[in-house]
Amino acid sequence: MGSLSARLLVSVSVLMLLFFGATVVVLDTAFRTAGEQARQDILDGHLMQLLAAANPNAEGALSFPPDLHEDRFNTIGSGLYGELRDDANTPVWRSRSALGLEIPTGDFPTLGNHQFLRESLDDGTPLLTLSMAVQWEFPNGELKPYVFKVAESLDAFNAQVAEFRRQLVGWFAAIALIMLLSISILMRGLLRPLRQIETEIGEIEEGRRVSLSERFPTELSGVARNMNLLIDNERARSDRYRHTLDNLAHSLKTPLAGMRALIKDITAERQLRGRFDEQIDRMDEIVRYQLRKPAASAADNLVLGPVPVAKEVERLVAGLRKVYHDKRPTIESEITPGVKFRGDTGDFLELAGNLLDNACKWCAGRVKIRITPSGDPQSMANGMVLTVEDDGPGIPEEAADVLLQRGTRLDESTPGHGIGLAIVKDIARSYGGKLTIARSALLGGAAITVSIPPISEGSRA
Amino acid sequence: MRLLVIEDDDTLREALAEQLAEGGYAVEQAADGREGLYFALEYPIDLAIIDLGLPEVSGLDIIREAREQGKTYPILILTARDRWQDKVDGLSAGADDYVVKPFHFEEVSARVNALLRRSGGWASSVLSAGPVVLDMSRQELTVDDAAIELTSFEYKIIEYLMLKAGQVISKSELTDRLYDQDFERDSNVIEVFIGRLRKKLDPENSLKPIETLRGRGYRFALERSEG
Repeated sequence: MGSLSARLLVSVSVLMLLFFGATVVVLDTAFRTAGEQARQDILDGHLMQLLAAANPNAEGALSFPPDLHEDRFNTIGSGLYGELRDDANTPVWRSRSALGLEIPTGDFPTLGNHQFLRESLDDGTPLLTLSMAVQWEFPNGELKPYVFKVAESLDAFNAQVAEFRRQLVGWFAAIALIMLLSISILMRGLLRPLRQIETEIGEIEEGRRVSLSERFPTELSGVARNMNLLIDNERARSDRYRHTLDNLAHSLKTPLAGMRALIKDITAERQLRGRFDEQIDRMDEIVRYQLRKPAASAADNLVLGPVPVAKEVERLVAGLRKVYHDKRPTIESEITPGVKFRGDTGDFLELAGNLLDNACKWCAGRVKIRITPSGDPQSMANGMVLTVEDDGPGIPEEAADVLLQRGTRLDESTPGHGIGLAIVKDIARSYGGKLTIARSALLGGAAITVSIPPISEGSRA
Repeated sequence: MRLLVIEDDDTLREALAEQLAEGGYAVEQAADGREGLYFALEYPIDLAIIDLGLPEVSGLDIIREAREQGKTYPILILTARDRWQDKVDGLSAGADDYVVKPFHFEEVSARVNALLRRSGGWASSVLSAGPVVLDMSRQELTVDDAAIELTSFEYKIIEYLMLKAGQVISKSELTDRLYDQDFERDSNVIEVFIGRLRKKLDPENSLKPIETLRGRGYRFALERSEG
């Protein structure tokens, strides 16, 4: 069950079912019990009436007047019946209402005992019966046992109970539904802070916000605070890392430069000087390669906002025009508006800078850079496809594979060519993308493409 | 040509200055950003070589300040940071080219040459104006394809004048730019050198490559011939 709201609703429903169910059962039972008690009391009253109405007759037996006080005894099929049995347990009198009906007889109850029973007529009508055995003292002093019995049809009572139950269940169901509805509405309001956190994190990813606002209820404020700490730590880590690298670069390379300058003073054999120079070159290359590793990776998505691609390319092209002043290459850029690179600005400049620099170096006069989104341009997650082509000699297939390996140079006379592409490949890979070398259909020279995929759920490589 | 080198690493700076001086340039040195900024703004120089990784005042700030104050001389950046981010930052701030440490001295020398002639408006390192051709990379001068023997100082003067062909260069500018600090400055010496140059380049006095403008200075008068 993925949704908090759904979970809450289901739990509340189950709880309500249990509680309301129990309440309904309790109320129903109470009503029925009270009802039954009442009916018993009433039956008792009727029995007393019968007792009062019985009179010894001339023959020395009990008899009743033709009409009893309680009208229901007199009406046929009224639902209230009376019976008198003698000591042989034979019915000697039945109320007029019992005409045509078979009232079940039962055993001779214990003297003086109110015996309430549930019995039924032969047609199935449920009855509540009360039987009592008495010793009747006749005027002549004789004692004869008799059983007085009254029976009442429970149809009406059962209908009442059923109606009550129906009403009860109906009303409680309505209340339950209203409660669920109210809870759902309440929940939207209660869960708003969660949606707010989601929105704010989205803004952080887009670079429109620096940290979570921390205006959250107690339960979430801990999360927000920790998230902010995480973001700060990540930024600090990135900065520290870069800072360390810069310091390392400076401290290693300046002595190397000094060494190179000093080598010139060695007037001994040129060969020895050349070999020293070579070693220094190698150290330099290793240092350069290691230190130009990507500053960021896919995991830093949360911390780094999108790089303003068009603006950075413009600066890069302006710089390259200065550097290649004499060659004066035409550098054309075609950048889809809204294309985003989510990562470190330095890494982006490495990608575009190395490729453009190589292109300018090798071209005959024309260079083109094209950047398009790879994925839905509207989505925050879209990736980028960057292609740089030139009208130079191009790169033959065999050489392309060699070039993509670390540290190999295609042309020794133009130093740094191989490293540039290897670095671009490393950076592309750290963002989950890849590098391809092909021939430019447009300009005839090399066309080098870096494609960075869009961010998917759960980050890239 | 007077160059300014701002670099905090002493070994590197002194070696660089020495090698540039050997190449015929007059070199000013600054060991930190503050001094370097002062020189960059106050001294008459033709080109500045600035290390980006200076303590206290950053190289980028010096470049921006110099450009803001209207200094148009070319600026070459030295940087240990190899990343494009830093190169682009430097170039956007106003530099014209960059060299990454550690470097071969020849690279610096080549770029300095290129920047100097670019600032003079020359597209190649071979400056030709009619029959007079000066090859900056070989430091050779020919007139009608005949090589002319010049002393190093004479070469410096004609190179400076040709680089700024068409511009009037005052005697004091020549003195400022071409003399090293410990050289005795006497403007009359310039006159003597100009005279000698004229004799070597233009023995028949027909070409008149160097024009004297009284009270103002000298000018290389021949038209640039470049495709």
